[in-house]
Amino acid sequence: MRMISRKNTDRLIAWLSLAITIIAIIPLLWIIGCVFANGASAINLEFLTDTPAPYGESGGGVANAILGTLVINTMASLFGIPIGVLTGMYLSEYASSGKFSSVIRASVESFSGVPSIIFGIFAFTLIVTTVQHYTALAASFALGLMMVPIVAKATEESMRVVSDDMREAAIALGIPKWARTVKIVLGVARGGVITGSLLAFARISGETAPLLFTSLFSFYWPTGIDQPMATLQVLIYNFALSGYPDRVLQAWGASLLLVILVVAINVVVKFATRPKYKEGV
Amino acid sequence: MKAKKSSAHYNRQDAIFKSILISASLLVVGLFVALFLMLISGSMPSILGNGFGFLTGTTWDPGKGIYGALPAILTTIATSLLAVALAIPIALGIAIFFTEYAPEKAKFSLTLFIDLLAAIPSVIFGIWGLWVIAPLIKTYVQQPIVASIGFIPIFGGPAYGISLSLASLILAMMVVPIIASLTIEIISRTPVSLKEGMISLGATKWETVKHVSLPFARLGILAAVMLGLGRALGETMAITMIIGNSYMWPFANPSIFAPATSITSKIASEFYEATSAIYVGSLIELSLILLVITLVTNALFRYVIKKTNRGARRQ
Amino acid sequence: MTNDSVKLDILKLDAWFGDKQALKGISLRIKPKTVTAVIGPSGCGKSTFIRCINRMHELTPGNKVAGTILLDGADIYNDMDSMDVRRKVGMVFQKPNPFPNMSIADNVVAGLKLIDAADKKELEEMAKENLKAVGLWKEVENDLKKSGASLSGGQQQRLCIARALAMRPEIILMDEPTSALDPASTAKIEELVKALKTETTVIIITHNVQQAARISDMTAFFYLGELIEYDETRSIFESPKSPLTERYITGRFG
Repeated sequence: MRMISRKNTDRLIAWLSLAITIIAIIPLLWIIGCVFANGASAINLEFLTDTPAPYGESGGGVANAILGTLVINTMASLFGIPIGVLTGMYLSEYASSGKFSSVIRASVESFSGVPSIIFGIFAFTLIVTTVQHYTALAASFALGLMMVPIVAKATEESMRVVSDDMREAAIALGIPKWARTVKIVLGVARGGVITGSLLAFARISGETAPLLFTSLFSFYWPTGIDQPMATLQVLIYNFALSGYPDRVLQAWGASLLLVILVVAINVVVKFATRPKYKEGV
Repeated sequence: MKAKKSSAHYNRQDAIFKSILISASLLVVGLFVALFLMLISGSMPSILGNGFGFLTGTTWDPGKGIYGALPAILTTIATSLLAVALAIPIALGIAIFFTEYAPEKAKFSLTLFIDLLAAIPSVIFGIWGLWVIAPLIKTYVQQPIVASIGFIPIFGGPAYGISLSLASLILAMMVVPIIASLTIEIISRTPVSLKEGMISLGATKWETVKHVSLPFARLGILAAVMLGLGRALGETMAITMIIGNSYMWPFANPSIFAPATSITSKIASEFYEATSAIYVGSLIELSLILLVITLVTNALFRYVIKKTNRGARRQ
Repeated sequence: MTNDSVKLDILKLDAWFGDKQALKGISLRIKPKTVTAVIGPSGCGKSTFIRCINRMHELTPGNKVAGTILLDGADIYNDMDSMDVRRKVGMVFQKPNPFPNMSIADNVVAGLKLIDAADKKELEEMAKENLKAVGLWKEVENDLKKSGASLSGGQQQRLCIARALAMRPEIILMDEPTSALDPASTAKIEELVKALKTETTVIIITHNVQQAARISDMTAFFYLGELIEYDETRSIFESPKSPLTERYITGRFG
């Protein structure tokens, strides 16, 4: 009797935990479904190649926002990835257990917990108030900063798991430490560094808060990286709240593009890092 | 063969390389310090102008020059705690299913789903919450509750859809994957020897989880909750789009269906239009308060996770 | 005191891991173009001994070395930079460790490429020459672009020997290079070691006394951090002076 009820409890928990898991996944499928259902009808050639129509007119597209997101992300990566990789290399290969490296480690970890909107405020006070106008550079600075801890952590962790055999082999050949670190250890760990950088790129591609008062928004093609610039993220925010059905539809269309970008990167990374697949040591 | 360069040459290269790495690392430290100092100096007009009343004031009226942050601070804390409270049972359920009951073949897709849920941009949660979930919640949840037990102040009407509780719900969906994936990692670290002891006594999987894995993982789960809380506190876009941005909650209207304003939604929706120095300063002081709260939460997270790791190593 | 018939002159070498002394007053002389086998039970200090010769022992914080090692009369601890020492004293490890991020050809010239930027053609020649020297050329000539990690264990070890040879070292240290390999691969490496001494000086650690007898000219027997006996291999095996040596080579402990 007792045994049966214990087994039933176990079976109940199994089904309950399965049900909870399904409930947690529903929002994901629902969001992706909604974004496809609503967004697909917004997408056409004009949507992908034109700038937004002025208020009151229909039609237009989000091409300038697509370009803006790519430009701002690229500039952010050019800033954030090198700093992240260099910091990660330092933490993995050079840092001792001393105070100095624990300060660096604490800063990197603290950065990863800072709310994204605060990076926006930081970039605003540091750059926008200095140059006296909104600029895409400030947005890239904020997003680049957000990439640093992600890339640094990925670099440090993937370099740490490189076997010491590799370091010893390099030392025994008389290879200088810098070349050993860059060409051998980083070389063996490059898969982890690349996936970390891709995930950081995906992460900032969806970030909106740091852009609100840095790159702002624009209805036109970008005129320069030191000017306000449209992005898909801010376009979604502005248009979704605008209340005009045309605009809301375009916000769904832009959401679809953003979701495809973010999901694609995550799926690629996920499959590339499947446990079965192991690169090197 | 070219002449071999002297070893002094390589020692110099090494020194240069090391100084580049140190400079990059110091830049990170410097930027973090700069961020803190910038927020403090940016807050000065508010700290001097509003004084301590900023933290206790309940009115925000830039026209009259009144800046009270208490409702925003309370809203941020309330939405985040509520979201985490909703997320914990879900995340635990996922973790238990994943570690104990899920077939090996399903695990890869399951982690993919969890990762994707964590990767969906917050602005997308916002547009979905605003245009899809808010109307449904308003009609099928809020209105029936208001109609039946609306006399209780915290369930009072009117039903707007966009509200404190909707923000918590969406936030919960956003932090579930964060808490779940760390909990899975922690529970998976339960030493097999401990579990085998229970299983050899004839315990079921659930009994093993209840008496071995969960007690073993409790500190780690606490860490996961702190991590999720930190994320919820700083979340901006989804909140701004669905919380209603009204200073009603909690003083004018204590209902969880009332629109409210969090620290982040206040900053996101007003920073651009803030003109006077004290207005901008007040918003920056809000962000400083948020930074302090999230840094403390994250420090707690790191403290607990360090303890967990040490405990695991001792096993 | 140096002369032409001494490649490596080791005088009163002591080494420590933290507080624990691993080598006690080791003195021995190694002639050029010979193979010296270092034997002894595990923990006797043989690995520490050869890691002192290319200055790798000192890399672990807390480790110390005292005494003198002269390479062609130059004190490797006082007169030479550690990087120069390692370029003159190559090393082959117990576990084959080719760089998995580099092709087979690049592995061979890894040391040259990362130290002296020679031109591409020169490097290709060097790769070919050294792969030939270890008898790997015919096996990999069409796969030069493949990863070094794609080879079998025995091939990987020969690749590692080629990588060390490419630096044109004065001495090659080998730390049980065949212990992870099958008998056929082991035989190839043993042949290779014997051939190497026409060009260079080899010091090889082995836990297999038969291997020491097969390939070496001189044998050093270590026990508990001390050099018990050092002599021509034939004398060591035919008439060991120390009873400890005799017990070890006849397999009665170790």
